[in-house]
Amino acid sequence: MDLTLRGRAEPAQPPAHTSVALELRGVRKSFGGAVALRDVGFTLLAGEVHALVGMNGAGKSTLVKIISGAYPPDGGELLIAGRRHGALTPRRARALGVSIVHQQRMLVPELTVGENLFLGRMPLRLGRVDWNRVHTDAARLLAELGVEVASRTTAGELGPAEQTLVEIARETHAGGEVLILDEPTATLGGSDAARVHRLVRTLGARGVAVVYISHHLDEVLDLADRVTVLRDGRHVTTVPTDRMDLPELVRAMTGDRLPQGRPDTGRTLGEVVLELDDLTAGTRLDGMDVTVRAGEVVAVLGCAGDGQSQLFPLLSGLRRPTRGRIKVAGREVRPGSVTAALGAGLRCVTGERLVHGLVPELGVDENLALTERGLHRPWLVRWGRLHRAGGAARTRFGVVTIQADPPVSTLSGGNQQKVLLARWLDSGAVACLLEEPTNGVDIAAKADIHRLVDDLAARGTAVLLASADVDEVLRLAGRVVVVRAGRTVADLPTGQVSRDELVALSVGGTPS
Amino acid sequence: MTTAVEPRRRLGVTVHPGLVRHGGVLAVLLIIGTFTALRSDVFLTGPNLLNVSRQIAVVAVLAAGLTLLMTAGGIDFSLGAIAAVTHGVTAQLITAGAADWLAVTLAVGLGALIGLVNGTVVTLFRVTPFVATLASSTILSGAALLIIEGQSISIGEHLAGLGFGEVFGVIPALVVIAVVVCLAIGCVMRWTAFGRNAFAIGGNERAARLSGIPVVRTKLLLYTLGGLLAGLGGVMLVARLGAASPGTGGLHLELTVVAAVVIGGTALHGGSGTLVGTILGVLLLGVVANSLNLLQINPYYQDIALGAVLMVAAVANHLRSRRH
Ligand SMILES: Nc1ncnc2c1ncn2[C@@H]1O[C@H](COP(=O)(O)OP(=O)(O)OP(=O)(O)O)[C@@H](O)[C@H]1O
Ligand SMILES: [Mg+2]
Repeated sequence: MDLTLRGRAEPAQPPAHTSVALELRGVRKSFGGAVALRDVGFTLLAGEVHALVGMNGAGKSTLVKIISGAYPPDGGELLIAGRRHGALTPRRARALGVSIVHQQRMLVPELTVGENLFLGRMPLRLGRVDWNRVHTDAARLLAELGVEVASRTTAGELGPAEQTLVEIARETHAGGEVLILDEPTATLGGSDAARVHRLVRTLGARGVAVVYISHHLDEVLDLADRVTVLRDGRHVTTVPTDRMDLPELVRAMTGDRLPQGRPDTGRTLGEVVLELDDLTAGTRLDGMDVTVRAGEVVAVLGCAGDGQSQLFPLLSGLRRPTRGRIKVAGREVRPGSVTAALGAGLRCVTGERLVHGLVPELGVDENLALTERGLHRPWLVRWGRLHRAGGAARTRFGVVTIQADPPVSTLSGGNQQKVLLARWLDSGAVACLLEEPTNGVDIAAKADIHRLVDDLAARGTAVLLASADVDEVLRLAGRVVVVRAGRTVADLPTGQVSRDELVALSVGGTPS
Repeated sequence: MTTAVEPRRRLGVTVHPGLVRHGGVLAVLLIIGTFTALRSDVFLTGPNLLNVSRQIAVVAVLAAGLTLLMTAGGIDFSLGAIAAVTHGVTAQLITAGAADWLAVTLAVGLGALIGLVNGTVVTLFRVTPFVATLASSTILSGAALLIIEGQSISIGEHLAGLGFGEVFGVIPALVVIAVVVCLAIGCVMRWTAFGRNAFAIGGNERAARLSGIPVVRTKLLLYTLGGLLAGLGGVMLVARLGAASPGTGGLHLELTVVAAVVIGGTALHGGSGTLVGTILGVLLLGVVANSLNLLQINPYYQDIALGAVLMVAAVANHLRSRRH
């Protein structure tokens, strides 16, 4: 609490010699009467890495959308390089040197890296695209930034980390003085995240001011020069990171709501429920054998985009495996059939909530009811019952919305994730695949979700966790299967490995 | 209709969300109506209004089916051609001596069957709906001419009860049918799992499939239902005109139907749509056509007006969806 006061009374004033790249004063924004930002001030210095943190729905994305011209503010002032600007559009913001990399990747998958980098401003010679220059320029740009990606690869073949790096490179090439990164490492594992960090440091050293949104607080303290904390749409504090430690930062973000970790209690395991037998998907997953008992949580760990990312399409029935079997409670599940997977009691929760999970235009409550409807196929929709059930599920999973039943697309990222989990975990799961379940979720919600997964296992569900996040694997799983380039390289109880050993295994060390 | 439950407050006044959503179309409709009423004495007379309502009843029946289909992200460009075929088939059956009820049932069934074929091509063979139904539209236009051998076929006094009959002595039977169809589709879109599944499929087909929603079956049913209503529309056409003739239904009807649905605010990519909007769109196009007639404006302007209204509506919808 006193931290709030300190932040207000003694705002970290920019030192006189550094110039201010961008400033917000008293910015307000509401959506249909619900307030998302109130009187927020924000100062970004040239060449600093400025982290923006806060719980789900605190208003981080809204703030950077205002800076990048996607939303007009309801009130307040926006100054770029000392000049005041009224209504910005994305195009004008770009012209003023403000660029943004959104959380969803936006490369054109069919085009090469070079084409993606220069899209819309290809170098021409005699009126035609100069392909040699495209690729030499691209190679030079990537080399300068220390991004090891070949310019002639098509973007679709890149892993998620590389796509992020290429997008950042594209935005900086546009010559922006201000670069906004909205949760660039949300879906990335340790070593991939480190590549993004290196690039951010390079950019900072070149004088680019970076606004960096993240829920990974270690990363924030390590990478950023200053950090601004938002809570419930208010500016709480802005401090240099060397005057801040983790507990203090957590308190500033949560206010009174303290997240609590739960010590792992020993679980009693039941029969084998889920069996993957020689499961293979082309070259991306090669002969995986895993068994999960009732009440057990087994993690499949790999770098972002490695073999574990094949589990969702295979287990959910979206894709047929090239070889191998999936068994639930001793019975083989018909491959490539969504209905068969659901019928067997298999519940697969995607890590890409907007692609495979939610229907953005529909309301929260109807999204929550979708799995039930798919399973039981009633004739009629009872709205009263649907809203009551939805309300109960929201309370249980801590979904916070500022309107009654808004379209799910207007929820903040973390709240969307909770809606997704609520929908699937409430539907009588025998076995369950969770893909990156805390993707883009704040620490309090993360602790909540971890507890929900614990409970799920305690009720006798077999839980398979596909993840690139070592800490989460260690927190949740009793056993971990490490995959590298599609192959299983280790299968160990989590009690017997350290964090560093796991990281080494997943990026290519030898099992100790 | 899809989401917002509470009214939104603006400028201190409580505005119903439906009014916000359809305010534009409603305003244009009122302006054109008022303008025509001031310039022409005939517009607000009983016979004229009855005539207009009979014309738009057919469009409304087809548009109701298309609204549901487009909400699910589908499209059918063959509805007008299906109507042309079934209006010819009805006339031929009646002149061949079939009982009225039999001719009507067969024609409507044929429409449903054609819709089912469209749906099969789209879902099982994964042909883009645009291409598949454009192809079947072309085939059916030819077939419609073959069926009536390029000539007018009169059905005499048959089906006069349907075409010119009135319920309670005032409301044309055709309008009653249109109202019943619209009410039924409106209820389907709001209260049935089938209708809500259409929204889910249009909003995110993959998510719908992964939830266990029967995507293929739902789509087949949607195309079949669209075809069935188009078949019914064809029967209504022949009943109203008393004859089947070349050029009835077909492309012009199709474009009017698509335009009405788009003007009503249904998204072309699926996921949202309301029947109220569609009905307003149908009314608007009917009033515009009637007004051009009454004010004796060169008929060539009819298509220009249709296109212009459609363009304005599409731009307005785009701006509205961007504001959110
Ligand atoms: N377009 C919109 N319409 C209505 N409400 C919105 C809209 N965009 C955001 N909100 C609401 O504003 C609040 C702030 O959302 P915002 O996306 O800025 O949060 P955030 O800090 O980025 O959270 P997260 O960490 O979960 O991404 C949320 O309560 C959200 O539901
Ligand atoms: Mg966000």
